[in-house]
Amino acid sequence: MAETITIRLKVNGIEREVAVKPNERLLDVLREKFYINSVKAGCLRGECGICTVIMNGKLVKSCLVLAPEADGAEILTVEGLSKPGKPSVVQRAFIEKFGFQCGFCTPAFVMAAHWVVENMPDAPEEEIKEILNSVICRCTGYKQIIEAIKYAIELKRQA
Amino acid sequence: MRTVLAFRTILPTFTYHRPSSLAELLELKAKLGKDAAILAGGTDLLVDMKMGVKRPSHVIDIKGIKELHVLEYKEGSGLIIGPTATLRELETNSLLKEKYPVLWDAVRKIADVALRERATLAGNIANASPAADSAPALLVYDAKVELTSINGSRLVPLREFFTGVKKTVMKENEVITKIIVPEPPAGAKGEYFKAVRSAEDLALVGIAALVANPNNPAERVVRLAYASVAPTPVYVKEVEELFKKDEPLNKLIKEAVNIVLSKVSPISDVRATREYRLHLVKYVTAYLLRKLLGVK
Repeated sequence: MAETITIRLKVNGIEREVAVKPNERLLDVLREKFYINSVKAGCLRGECGICTVIMNGKLVKSCLVLAPEADGAEILTVEGLSKPGKPSVVQRAFIEKFGFQCGFCTPAFVMAAHWVVENMPDAPEEEIKEILNSVICRCTGYKQIIEAIKYAIELKRQA
Repeated sequence: MRTVLAFRTILPTFTYHRPSSLAELLELKAKLGKDAAILAGGTDLLVDMKMGVKRPSHVIDIKGIKELHVLEYKEGSGLIIGPTATLRELETNSLLKEKYPVLWDAVRKIADVALRERATLAGNIANASPAADSAPALLVYDAKVELTSINGSRLVPLREFFTGVKKTVMKENEVITKIIVPEPPAGAKGEYFKAVRSAEDLALVGIAALVANPNNPAERVVRLAYASVAPTPVYVKEVEELFKKDEPLNKLIKEAVNIVLSKVSPISDVRATREYRLHLVKYVTAYLLRKLLGVK
């Protein structure tokens, strides 16, 4: 099917216009059209959370959003969190607290952490853990990730 | 029949529609019928399409229809939930938490936050999975589903909505336009017990329990409904009648458990055996009833 749809979206602060096929996912658009490779394809069925981005201020799995559904949306990925050489508080906290191991899931966790820091800075650890259910890490056991998030909240409070 | 799992990375092709009014949607659905899948949250549809279980030629995204995005409560008549209201919107609604604790409890136990930002209550019902967590909760509140086609609307009690695994009374040209949850009995409390291995898992067994006026037999309301114990979510209506009797609660609880066990027919699958599911039904039902009825 040759049918294409033109969508407009704002990715990491930049207005983009792109032709997509209806059966492409937001994930495919970010990776293949915009070369945003921090957003990864894992299970492609909403389980692993490795494709997590912030869409219109909400934490979503980009493998379960069709490209045409993202028309008019604002998308944030780790590439939009910081300027080169200037990590965001969440990124700094992940580095200082070793909130990663192999690094594969890290962009997704950084986005989840960013969302927590921005939207629920007073959340108790139990609630932070609930948010983290969305993303799977197979190395760290989550402890350092949770510590990094708590530290990021602290850093932000100090700033 | 075994489902052959096609691990495709590219979704099958389809034509994408995004109507901006209900009238436009009903016309499309009348024309395209079962070739058209309704897309609200997409958290079931896109997975089924990826796995090759569904291959619709048309996908109708209903999120552009403003009149379907409803979440409102009216004292006396209850809660109206439109088909594009997300689970996250329900979960974060303080009125829902206070007035409909069983539904709130079930909704927040579905999948994870990122999925609940997209997934809708109507989608959970329309998908008609035996493991749908919202179904038992809606059943104990005696929710109704408004189905609309180009020929008009009809109101179906949720207790008559499910007909089999992933099967419902919905006709090819119909869409869910509302879920109506009536005012709960005064003083009703309750919870949704979801037996799982890990948080994102499907329910091994899900049990919704609602209780009001435990100490006054004439006014007493006890309702139980189950997920993952039969081809459809199960509402055990006999329990409500049983608890109108003026008999010791301990005796009634025992009888209720026996009634429930006679109404469920779980299977063994990858998640749990039939025996384990029956065990959960037996003990958790008694546990919830004792807790909510205030019996030691």
